[in-house]
Amino acid sequence: MKKLVASMLVLAMLVSMVSLLPIAASADALEPITLTVFRGDPGDQPTDDNKIYKLIEEKFGVKFQFEYLAGDLDEKLGMMIAGEDYPDLFDGGNSADLIISNGALINLLDYVSPEKTPRLWAHIEPQKARLIDKDEDGNDVLYIIPNYGLPDGPQIALSVGGPAFFLQKQVLADAGYPDVKNLTIDQYFDLIEGFLANHPTNADGTPYTGFAILCEDWRHFCLINPVQHLMGRPNDGEVLIDVSTNDFHTETFIDKPYAKAYYKKLNEEFHKGLINKDTFVMNYDQYIAALSSGTILGMFDQAWDFGGATSALNDAKMYENTYVALGPVYPDDVEGKPEGWTIEEHYLNGSLPNVRRGFGISVKCECPERIVAMWEEMMSDEWQIIFNWGIKDEDYYVENGRLLMTEEQYAQLNDANWKLANKAEGFFQSSPKKQGWIMNDITLEDGTVITEGNCWEPGNQNEIVLGLMNDYDKEFLGHYGYSKWADFVNPPIDLAPYGEAWQIDYTPVDVEHQDFCDIQDRMLPELIMCDPAEFDAKWDAFVAEIGPSAKAFEDYMQEHVLIEAQKVLGK
Amino acid sequence: MTSVSPDLRKEQLKPVRRKGFFPTLGKQWQLVLMSVPIFLYVLFFNYYPMYFWVTAFQDYKPKLGVLGSKWVGWKNFEWLFSRADFINSIRNTLAMSVINLVFGTVSAVLLAVLLNEVKNRKFKRTVQTVTYLPHFLSMVIVVGMAQNIFASNGAVNELLMGLGLVREPVFFLGEGKYFWWLVGVINVWKEVGWGTIIYISAMTAIDPCLYEAAAIDGAGRFQRILHVTLPGIKSTFVILLIMNIGHLMEAGFEIQYLLGSSVVMDWSQTIDIFVLKYGISKQQYGVATAAGMFKSVVAIILLVAANLTAKKLDEDTLI
Repeated sequence: MKKLVASMLVLAMLVSMVSLLPIAASADALEPITLTVFRGDPGDQPTDDNKIYKLIEEKFGVKFQFEYLAGDLDEKLGMMIAGEDYPDLFDGGNSADLIISNGALINLLDYVSPEKTPRLWAHIEPQKARLIDKDEDGNDVLYIIPNYGLPDGPQIALSVGGPAFFLQKQVLADAGYPDVKNLTIDQYFDLIEGFLANHPTNADGTPYTGFAILCEDWRHFCLINPVQHLMGRPNDGEVLIDVSTNDFHTETFIDKPYAKAYYKKLNEEFHKGLINKDTFVMNYDQYIAALSSGTILGMFDQAWDFGGATSALNDAKMYENTYVALGPVYPDDVEGKPEGWTIEEHYLNGSLPNVRRGFGISVKCECPERIVAMWEEMMSDEWQIIFNWGIKDEDYYVENGRLLMTEEQYAQLNDANWKLANKAEGFFQSSPKKQGWIMNDITLEDGTVITEGNCWEPGNQNEIVLGLMNDYDKEFLGHYGYSKWADFVNPPIDLAPYGEAWQIDYTPVDVEHQDFCDIQDRMLPELIMCDPAEFDAKWDAFVAEIGPSAKAFEDYMQEHVLIEAQKVLGK
Repeated sequence: MTSVSPDLRKEQLKPVRRKGFFPTLGKQWQLVLMSVPIFLYVLFFNYYPMYFWVTAFQDYKPKLGVLGSKWVGWKNFEWLFSRADFINSIRNTLAMSVINLVFGTVSAVLLAVLLNEVKNRKFKRTVQTVTYLPHFLSMVIVVGMAQNIFASNGAVNELLMGLGLVREPVFFLGEGKYFWWLVGVINVWKEVGWGTIIYISAMTAIDPCLYEAAAIDGAGRFQRILHVTLPGIKSTFVILLIMNIGHLMEAGFEIQYLLGSSVVMDWSQTIDIFVLKYGISKQQYGVATAAGMFKSVVAIILLVAANLTAKKLDEDTLI
């Protein structure tokens, strides 16, 4: 009997051990790993106890080790390529084309398909013509799932997130809230001059600067991009494209007669004292510091480029020093306008997939399947809420099916230190994500229902953007009878078939493009500062010097604008 | 001195029997062991990279490697020398090097001489410490300070305007003609104290009897400096000069990179920055190597030439 019991026990033990085996195996698949991550922009390390990363570690067994950019992006990427020293998750920022052309990233189409990853596929499917390229051998390739620009539902344009001529709100208030729709560039500067005449310094006695121009490195778009917008086009980078023609006639605008008007205007304003010499040697940190001090009245920039200054001004409750985005254009009779061109203000464009920007998986990564599977899981409604909104009842609350935040909770989103402990931005900003409208009801784990018609991003949710707006801004908008900041410019136009031309990969003409940029960076400040009597002669010298590199770049861009357009239009 | 014992002479006259390599090695194995790390260091970091000099003649692609990349002959060099901005960067490199060398050496010798004349030890020590502290500051901080000081509303312009020397602020940071001199001034401020250390130590080696003798002979302070101190540090000076001439092709990289901006590009871009811009950022690694090779060759020529000149002048030399 004893023997029987003993052998039964042994048997039971054996059975339970065997039954444990598959569990052990599945635990093996989720063996904890640490992924190295490179981000092509500056940033700060999250705290060790960041609550979202903790959640990811619990659920996926994945930890991240971030490296943020310090210094120049192309130099950093060049060093990484030379040593083939790649992280697992690789965000090459605005120069991702360099790492793609050097074979640093794997083709995601080996892992992403309608069967294997239905959510990711549904996410990219509507824009797949733009996203999926052909490699040299004619195979379909997708290296990066865009980090932004694949929204659900109709476009949301509450504010200008991209390029515009910005103006401090107090300038408009001081001028008695004039109508600023269809402003000319002259009127824009008149507003600044008018304000400066009344208020040369702020309350502390610090002189105001009328207009700032950032020229540092790749951010020189503040210096070289405005002309296309003044001609009435959204952002095509360094070329002007005539979308009314079938061949999408493409030309560099900086060397054309119609560009001269803008730089001549800047020269005039320089001699009136609106522009400070130091602006041309300012680096980005100094620029943000100047904007944050509230003494720069206006500038051409892109809203995301000075977000830090906007937060700082809001934090300091200097609302009258924050900026409103305006869309000045040339008068219709501007000199040198191409034939048949009509100038109509369009700073806002249709929503644009941020092609080839975001995380790719490098060839050095040992577990691409696992990363893709993780992204697939993270594209679920629940995870997207966690990334965008946070943890329920800590970072947001739900009322009648609406996602809401208290004033305090919303203010935290502007607090960089809080975010390092409570948001997973280092990872999520470069990962595929849902944007736009929530198109279906979502039931959270605890049974709470979030109804369709909410927004994925807190910053787009009506109750938050309008409900939690500060009184100064409410009153300011009230004077104009507008409900949102985007009302200061025309509504978005349809996205051109080629997308936006700044996205086109120009690495094959890199050296020519570098020359093209160097000449502008060097000579445009000279033109702005020169004696007005010499301006015409100097302009002609500039046009002559930039000619060859502009031509090379222009030819390349013309060809590739057509190729991009063909992808969407079909043959 | 004249009488040497016969025994010793005998000893010296005995033919020296060369010992074999291995007995010597056996005797000196500790020394050999100690030099192994240095030997490996030089091998890996100085000789092994030279293998990659062949990429100067290639269109080098990291993913293809040295053996797989395409050979292009002298094309990289032709491209380099066809570019006006490379020629400019050679000029800028040499100009800033010479300015740094002259300013740096003159200021260091001058300060060292002055300090040598100071009899109050406390004062001497304080000045020495204060002047060499900036050497330990990162160039980022130094340039940040310089940008503030030399800005349109910075201290220097305020001073110049306050004294009525200029009517409107001088655009130090944005006009090419000032750039080289600005770099020279900043380098002097940062390195002058550090530079004096070696000269001061050379001066302490001068026999005090010489000063006393000169004083007895009626030499004043300036004459003692001229005839005792300066000749006393001459050999140090020459050795340092030769070494620095070997480094003429390196005008520094950080300061120009940080202080430069697009408006002064024509004056601020050095060879190193050019290499970074086209070689690394634009992935023309072959071009980068070609430029590096050119730099090394010129540096060797300069070094040998300086050494020969010193030899002709009958000074101590480096090699």
